[in-house]
Formats: sequence, structure tokens, C-alpha cells
Amino acid sequence: MIGNGPVCAEQTYGRGLAGLVVGDTAISEVDGIRGRLLYRGYPVEQLVGRTSFEEVAYLVLFGEMPDASRLADWTAELVRWRHPPEAALDALQRVPARAHPLAQYRTMMTVAACHIPEPENTELDAQWRRPARILSWTAGLAAYAIRHLQGLAPVAPRDDLGYAANFLYQTLGEPPSEEALEAFEASLVVQAEHGLHAAAFAALIVISTGADLGSAVLAGMGALSGARHGGANQLCFEMLARLEGPEHARVWALEALARGHRFPGFGHRVYKCPDPRVRSLEPYAEALLASRGQKKLWHTYLALREEVEGALGAKGIYANVDSITGLLYHPIGLPVSAFPIPFCLAIQTGWMAHCLEYLPDGRVIEPGAVYIDPE
Amino acid sequence: MSKLQTLSGAFDWRAEAIDWPVTTDVGPGLAGVVAAETRVMWLDPSSGELAYRGVPIDALASSPDFEATAHLLITGRGPEEDPGGLANFRHQVRSSRLLPPDVVDLVRSLDPATHPTRILRAGVSALGCHELSVDDDLSGSRQWRELRIVGQVASLVGEICRHRNGLGSRAPEEGCSLSEGVLAALNDRRPEPDEIRALDLLWVLYAAHGLDAPTFTSMVVASCLADPYYNIVAGLSALRGPKTGGASESVLDQLLPLDNPGAAEAWVRKAIDSGETIAGFGHRAYHMPDPRVVILRKEVAAMARSRGRSELFEIARTVESAVTRELAPKGVFINVNFYGALLFHLLGAKPPLAPCLIAVGRMAGMAALVSEALDNIRLYRPLSRYVGVGDRTP
Repeated sequence: MIGNGPVCAEQTYGRGLAGLVVGDTAISEVDGIRGRLLYRGYPVEQLVGRTSFEEVAYLVLFGEMPDASRLADWTAELVRWRHPPEAALDALQRVPARAHPLAQYRTMMTVAACHIPEPENTELDAQWRRPARILSWTAGLAAYAIRHLQGLAPVAPRDDLGYAANFLYQTLGEPPSEEALEAFEASLVVQAEHGLHAAAFAALIVISTGADLGSAVLAGMGALSGARHGGANQLCFEMLARLEGPEHARVWALEALARGHRFPGFGHRVYKCPDPRVRSLEPYAEALLASRGQKKLWHTYLALREEVEGALGAKGIYANVDSITGLLYHPIGLPVSAFPIPFCLAIQTGWMAHCLEYLPDGRVIEPGAVYIDPE
Repeated sequence: MSKLQTLSGAFDWRAEAIDWPVTTDVGPGLAGVVAAETRVMWLDPSSGELAYRGVPIDALASSPDFEATAHLLITGRGPEEDPGGLANFRHQVRSSRLLPPDVVDLVRSLDPATHPTRILRAGVSALGCHELSVDDDLSGSRQWRELRIVGQVASLVGEICRHRNGLGSRAPEEGCSLSEGVLAALNDRRPEPDEIRALDLLWVLYAAHGLDAPTFTSMVVASCLADPYYNIVAGLSALRGPKTGGASESVLDQLLPLDNPGAAEAWVRKAIDSGETIAGFGHRAYHMPDPRVVILRKEVAAMARSRGRSELFEIARTVESAVTRELAPKGVFINVNFYGALLFHLLGAKPPLAPCLIAVGRMAGMAALVSEALDNIRLYRPLSRYVGVGDRTP
């Protein structure tokens, strides 16, 4: 697995380690030429609508789809950790409200991490306790933070609801409608893992030092919080929301293209073709927006996508998953500044899977730097 | 395109420029990979040379001044070159030590037995919330924040030392140096001149060491344009790992229970026979003893003698010779954490505080390397090769 690659091989790569193969993985296949994404061999579009986030998280983390009894145990473990440490919730009272929501969430996570027991038990039962604790604690913290942001009182978790439904319940204060839940669950499923993107790579470096899983996830979150990474769905939605309709979108897009403008939510380091996650989520966005009387927003998105892909598709620039998730989260009722959160919740599954895969005997990740003489 | 034999023993990591893309050797843990170009520091694994901005480490260590070294790393200007800039820098880092009361409260609300690096991470995160607002544009110059981070982390570490030792909160005395402030917090008394010198020396030596795991983590996070406090939170997450800065804690855990050189000798033999990891030995970057070790060994010897702890130094010396005898032929040499940890201990630090104290020094190099990289950075996004099962359907 990763870390156990050939002892030494020659490779060619660009800035940002573009093209460098860090190692082998059995977790997912991200095929940027044919536009395919597979988790442990399952194409993601076949998982959407058929499997819950719990099942997909189990698959990504442990390699196989859970049978009924394993799923019950895993679900029970996830439910068990739905109450994050009180101190982490209290931390929010000690940070200014004007701080970035992701920085507030980060502070809660760092305080929660102080309550993870150490030294960590590495026996098998702990192997799944650690990811379960992180997945559930973070969802609880995120829901709390989003409500805090809106000046709303926290909502206690409901053990009878699944991961996605409970998160929406704790965030919105009422159980989600069936279609909102399906759309949200689909967004978690397609974003649960995505190879060695920057955040997963950051998590992997941290785990390679022998640090704990919580520390690795924090580093991943850091990468995700950046504007070039997880924040893009918020930026893309704000761009769409500023456009008055499909016609305006076309005019603005052409003008922006002529200026060489870069569009958040478009283009991907790996996919040089349509992003399979976008195709999987579009039907949900269209249905959800139609049912909320927001068809215009849907057509604005389509118009923008057509213009941008028409002009830049030949260069391999297509809409990526960040272009579409905002169109799900907005009608569901999440505030715009919370848009990056569901991505964080889902994708940390993949980071933890990569960390667990790397752990057995992975070496510390420490590349070199070339020293450029100032003269 | 440049082609570089980076893993061959005599490879010189100096270059005029890199012509991307580059072809290099790639070993486990990305050994041999060129992940960045830097003007900040120079590290030659084959000759054991280490220099910050062209100034050899020996010169910086001869009259150690951490603030001046931080200024050198971050701005590239030495004290003679820019005395006004340095004075201004000192003023800025020292005055940024005043922490918001909410941050101090947060630190003190945590169980004092919590690992200090975890508390530090929470404190830095909370500070970031006070320092930056949602409307801040993070694309522009961030240097002022990095200067502040160096002072803020020193101040937080002082608070954490006091909290750990059961002492109440106290801000550092206004105008004292960073090392004086942390030592006063650690021991709850005015520090001796040789202690100040020793802590400055430690921080100078720990300030930067190429793209070690904490710095590289920070750089990857920065490449996504995260806020600078998130870069530090991520870097600190890696710093505590037992294979990096956390090793300093393990060194003390292993050395302090040994009563005399005889016991030390026996312990080493047993540890090597049973395949146990001996903390403070082994380093990716060097195929020879770490150049910082010589400097630190001398300092530890002097400090131990003056504090009536010469036996501790003798024990360490015995472990060093025994391990070197066994492992040097296999290319495993002593690293900075061995005597570094001992010196932190002689200054009054309990083992869990060692990684946290390293962090203060490391902030300078991290700030310098990360802000330099931001000028010309591309998102770090390497690849993995899929070797799992073939297509299947649910």
C-alpha cells in the first residue's frame, strides 16, 4: 500500500508535485481521463441513491460493503459518539463571532482533540472507534457551529436518525424532507473519498510522523479551508447567486472568459473531462431547486456551465463537484458560509482511510528542497 | 527539464533554478523529491552543512540570539545589515505576546494534564479567530501576521508551562526577550543568563530544517490558501508525532529513568536486541552526524556541570557511544533531539513540554519557508496508483 512502493524509482513531476506518484492505494481509483471515480472498485454513480453514507464510509474505511450485522455495529458506534465534549462546544463562546466559520469550527475541533484519550489503543476495536468518534463528533460540532453562527440555540442529536438526517436535524432544527435528505446523502456519498488530493496528502504527512488520527484530520481540514480547495463551493455559489438569470450568465461568462477570468468550481487537477460527481448530483439539484421554486438558479447554473465548458472544455476545464453542491445546500437551507462543512464531514472519511492504509510501516514523509543561491 | 540524481551520496542540493518539470530519484517517504525551491536555508546531507540565509549554523550558534535569527530567516537580513529593521522586529514580536483574555481562559479551561502540544494547537486556533475576521483578504502580504505568530506562540507556550505546573496565568514582563519570557513562565522565577543563552541556542538550532514533516504539512496547507493560523495548527499537528518533534519527549522518557552509566549501557544493549526504537537517533537528511549535535553536546555538558547534574550527561554520553557503536555502521546517527531534549530538561522542562518548546523556535523557520513558498506556490496535489480490486457493482 502507500508507503510500500518501490524503494527507489525515477519520476518526473512539476511544481506542486503534479504528476508525482506517492505510492499505491487500494481505496479509490480516480480516473481523470475517462471521468471515473471508484471506491474500492464500486463506481460512485452506482452507490449514489442506493447506499447510505454510513455504508459508504464503512466501505471506504474498511474495504468491503458491510453486511447487516456489521452495519448495525458500525451505525451504533457512530451514534455513540454523537455528543462531542462540552468543552469543545463551550469554546465557541470564547471566539469572536466575526471570525471565519471554519476557524471557529477548527477551534472546536482542536479543543475536542484534547479529549481524545492517549496513548491511542491500536487494537482492532479501536481501529474503528477512532474514525467513528471523529466522524460523529465533527458532525455534532459543525451543526452546533452553524446554528451559533445564525444566533440559534443548539439542538440535541436524535439517535433514531441516520448520520445525514441527524446532521440536518441538528443544523436546521427539524427533520429534513425526504428529497432534501436524499440529495444531502448523495452529496456525502460522492464526496467521501477522492484519492490523494491536497488535504488527504496533508493528513498523510501528519500520520506519517506517528501522530494520531485526530491530528491528521485537523491538517486535512486546514488544507480544505483554503480558497483553492474546499472553499470553492461557497465561492461558486456566490458567483451564481450574483447572476440575474441564464441570459445574464451567458453574457457575463463570455465577458469574463475574454478577460481570462478563472471560475471557482471549474477545472480540476486530475479530471480533464466531466467530473463524474457532477453528473451524479445534477438530477438532485434540479429536482430540489424546482420544488423550491428556484428553477431560474438551476438554469443560470446550466447556462454558465455550458458557456465555460464550451470555451474551455477543449483545454480540459469542466465543472467540478464544487460547482454543484451549493445548489443542493442552498435549497436544503444551509447558510452559504456553511457550504464547505458537508464536504469536510464526508471527505475526512477518505483521509482517515488513507491514514489507516499508510500506518503499518509508512515512512515519515519528508521531501527535499533545492536551495537557490541569492546571487 | 532538470534531471537530478537526488539520492546519490554526493548530490548537491544547491541550484541556480529549477527547470520544471523535474526528473529525480524518489524514495520511500518522498526522499529525494524536490518539493520546493528556497532561499531561506541550506541543508547539505552529504557534507552536513547547515546555513540560514547563507549564514553557517556555527556562526549563529556562537552568540545565539533567537529573535535576530528569526528576523534573518523571515526577512533575509542580518543584524548588521538592518539594525533598524531588527529593532522594529524585536518590538513587534515582543509586543504581540499580549494574548486576548478569552484565549488565556480557553487554555486554562483545559485539563492541565492534556498533552501541551494539543493545548498549544487549541490556543493557536483560538488566537486565529481573534486575529482574523471572515472579511480579511488572505491573498495579500501576510508577513505581519507571521511575525505576530512567533511572539504569540512563545507567549502561549509560557502560559501552557504555567498551567501544566499548577501556576496561575501571568503575561511575560514587557520588553523582555522571548526566551526570558518563556523561562520565567516555566520556572516561575527570573532566569539566569546561561539559561537564556541556552534557550536561545536551542531555538536557533531548531528554527528551520528544510522541509521536515511539520514544515511540509504547513506548506501543503498554505498552498491551498488557508489562513496562516490554520497552517500553524496543521504544522503543530505533525510536530508532536513521535517520529519528529515528539521524539524529544521520548528521549527524556528513555533517559531519565537510567540511574548510572552502567544501567545505560545495559539498557541500550537490551533495546537494540529487542528491536526497540531508541529516540534521538536516525535522520533522513544526514548520512552523517547531525551538525547541530556537536554544538548541543557541549552546551549540555556545561549546563549539567554547573547544575550538579554531570551524572545525567555521563549517562547520555554512554547511551550515545553505545548506540553509535551499534548503529552508525548501518547509517543511523544521533540527531538534534537527543541533546536538545536534555537541554530543555536541564532548563526545567518536564518531558511532555519539550515538543511544545521546540515549536517556538520552529515557528520562525516555518513562517519564513511558508511565506516564501506562497509567492510562487501551486496547490500540492500528487497522485497515488490504484492497486485495489477491479470494478464491481453494489
